[in-house]
Amino acid sequence: MAGVRMTVVWCPDWPIIAWGVPLDEPAVVTVANRVVACSPAARAEGVALGQRRRDAQSRCPQVAVLERDPDREARLFEPVAAALETLTPRIEVGGSGLVGFPTRGPSRFFGGDQALAQRVLAEVEPVLARRGETRVGIADGVFTARLAAGSIEARSGPVVIDPGQTATFLADITIDALELPALTGVLRRLGINTLGAFAALPVADVTGRFGQGGQLAHRLARGEDDYPPDLRRPALDLAVTWQFEPPAERIESCAFVAKMLADDLHATLAGEGLACIRVAIEAETEQGITQLRLWRHEGALSAAAIAERARWQLDGWLRQARISSAPGSTPHSDSDINSGIDSGVDPGAGAGIGSGITRLTLIPDEVIPATGRQLGLWGGRNEQVDDVTRVVARLQAMLGPDAVSVPEWRGGLGPGERITLIPAAAVDLGEERSATAACSVREPWPGQIPTPAPARVAPDPIPVEVLDDWGELLGVDGRGHTTGLPAVVRPLGPNPVLGRKPRAVVAWAGPWPADQRWWDPLTHRRRARLQVVLDDNSAHLLALEHQQWSIEATYD
Amino acid sequence: MARTQTLRELHDRLAPFTLAHDRLLAVPAPLLPLFPFGGLPPGQSIGFDGPGSWSVALAMAAAITGHEGWMAVIGIEELGLVAAADLGVGLDRLLLIETVPSAQLGEVVAALVGAVKVIAIAPAREIHHRDARRLAARARERETTLLHLNGGRHWPHALDVMIQAEPERWEGIGQGHGHLQHRRLSVGVTGRRSSARQRQVSVVLPDPDGGLGLPSPEGAAVGGPVRPLLVG
Repeated sequence: MAGVRMTVVWCPDWPIIAWGVPLDEPAVVTVANRVVACSPAARAEGVALGQRRRDAQSRCPQVAVLERDPDREARLFEPVAAALETLTPRIEVGGSGLVGFPTRGPSRFFGGDQALAQRVLAEVEPVLARRGETRVGIADGVFTARLAAGSIEARSGPVVIDPGQTATFLADITIDALELPALTGVLRRLGINTLGAFAALPVADVTGRFGQGGQLAHRLARGEDDYPPDLRRPALDLAVTWQFEPPAERIESCAFVAKMLADDLHATLAGEGLACIRVAIEAETEQGITQLRLWRHEGALSAAAIAERARWQLDGWLRQARISSAPGSTPHSDSDINSGIDSGVDPGAGAGIGSGITRLTLIPDEVIPATGRQLGLWGGRNEQVDDVTRVVARLQAMLGPDAVSVPEWRGGLGPGERITLIPAAAVDLGEERSATAACSVREPWPGQIPTPAPARVAPDPIPVEVLDDWGELLGVDGRGHTTGLPAVVRPLGPNPVLGRKPRAVVAWAGPWPADQRWWDPLTHRRRARLQVVLDDNSAHLLALEHQQWSIEATYD
Repeated sequence: MARTQTLRELHDRLAPFTLAHDRLLAVPAPLLPLFPFGGLPPGQSIGFDGPGSWSVALAMAAAITGHEGWMAVIGIEELGLVAAADLGVGLDRLLLIETVPSAQLGEVVAALVGAVKVIAIAPAREIHHRDARRLAARARERETTLLHLNGGRHWPHALDVMIQAEPERWEGIGQGHGHLQHRRLSVGVTGRRSSARQRQVSVVLPDPDGGLGLPSPEGAAVGGPVRPLLVG
């Protein structure tokens, strides 16, 4: 595959021109005492690229020796690049005095490669104003175009290598054009002196002998690009922002601006054929505090949805600020709750903000091509999931991002260990979540308590005493047997499950020993569990750990 | 003429017209005798009290949400989610909301009604009677059922329906052998208005399928030989 057809514009003596030295005065630019550029006048005296500075000075004693200054070169080259930007938007500044752009579009527009090349010269030469010459080469691939611009013929006018002629053009060029001394040294000793001869070698052998570097050089010699030029369109800055002047003190004005910004953003996105599935809303106060929150939506976010989320977020934020600023007072007056219930309007409406908001920014964080949305034929699940997603977002704004969670299965022994909670913000509620199906944990867990599972699992175990029929504290020995028959369960202190009275055990089963994570001394837990039915027919799961019984769960 | 007649008849048959009766929520079949109209009107507040009542609540929530509806649980950390899943509550349609201050509970519930079909609450502090009345009205209007898992404590008004559970016997567990398997449970309902008369039914929860079932006629919770309980 041939490389992308490129135009290369090269100002050969740019390092000299950038120093503002007239080309008819002898001058050299050196890096580490080696000549990297010389003026035509110096060249006429026998100065050549790659010479040591001392040699150059011996050949031409009056030569001006200049240090290389890449910043200056790049800065002064900018007008040239800008002149070319009137022809095409996608230009790439390569090295010093070198700039290229893909040819296909501009060439078609200006009527062929020759016409384009003339046009390029016409644009660039007024900028250079006779300070130096400009060479133009058009060919397949950057490397070939660069060589075309550097060839002898380019001095008299633009060189255009027709598509398909690349190999012929490259065949007779010396191997040194690769500018890889280590590689070309070896190739010359192997008797390969031209790019054509190098290109004729099989790719596999070149890769085997010279590795990846050799392979890239081989691609160049065949007239392909080493790496395809990066022609992506520049990333669009889609973020929209609004500066409040003076700072917004009321939630309504923020919400109003949020709506406007959301409409703007939506129009921009629609113009690009994009839809936003995650938006970042950023607000900044007078004190410079910035709050950023991401909002995800399984469908594309509409303008109204974005505005709504901005309002929720600001509302929640301002509410928190108010609660923290007045710790003694109740966070909401009755009227707040009334308005929240009756009309669904945000309860923060009308409340003054201690510190105004100075800036509001909406950043489309994740965009996808807008393909429209496929609704279910009967509405149904989609609609309901939309409702739920909205409510979850609302609650997160009201209570904090981790306030709403959803359950997922995982493996475990105890009743509270088999399900884990993850924040709803982290999942897409509309998607099928495989971890919510019980079959997602297939592996058996030896020592698991048999079904049914208890309906009430104490978050913190409630300590109790279990006595055997002799009135002694019941224990479990090393073999996993109880030391007696459990007879009485006695609450220690006020007990939300049992009340205050001791209760007799009418039936029991177990114990189920659980020796968890014995390989890790820090998290190692050793417990024994016992099912008991008490005299009021309530059933409980008791656990013994460190000689202490507790109610772990209740079969409520 | 005949054609217009046919069209009119068709129209009458196709017109969406529902009686209050048709909009009743599903309840587990064994509990049907408890509800006079063969179902539960939507948007009611139901209290659950007594040992075993949480399982009844979960079984009813599973029936109400069915395959589509969502359920929200506000601030009940003790709720056994494995049990909920076993009784048929879809974990992929369950939202768990952290404990909120009682002043904010109204707002949270107000945001949820309409979007979810069932909300389970167990407030730890007194709810203001004005908030409570407004909430109940809103839930009724948006047809969201409120389950009070703490039997309506801290709720200033009488609930629409009060479900009282009383475990009668556990099966499968002995003196140091077996394990808890089936529970015979007596479930009673009292309420306002239509369900004012007390009704009682005996069910097995969980039954051999893990759900809510009817006891077998022999008096045992489930069929098959019953191991005698050695109560010492």
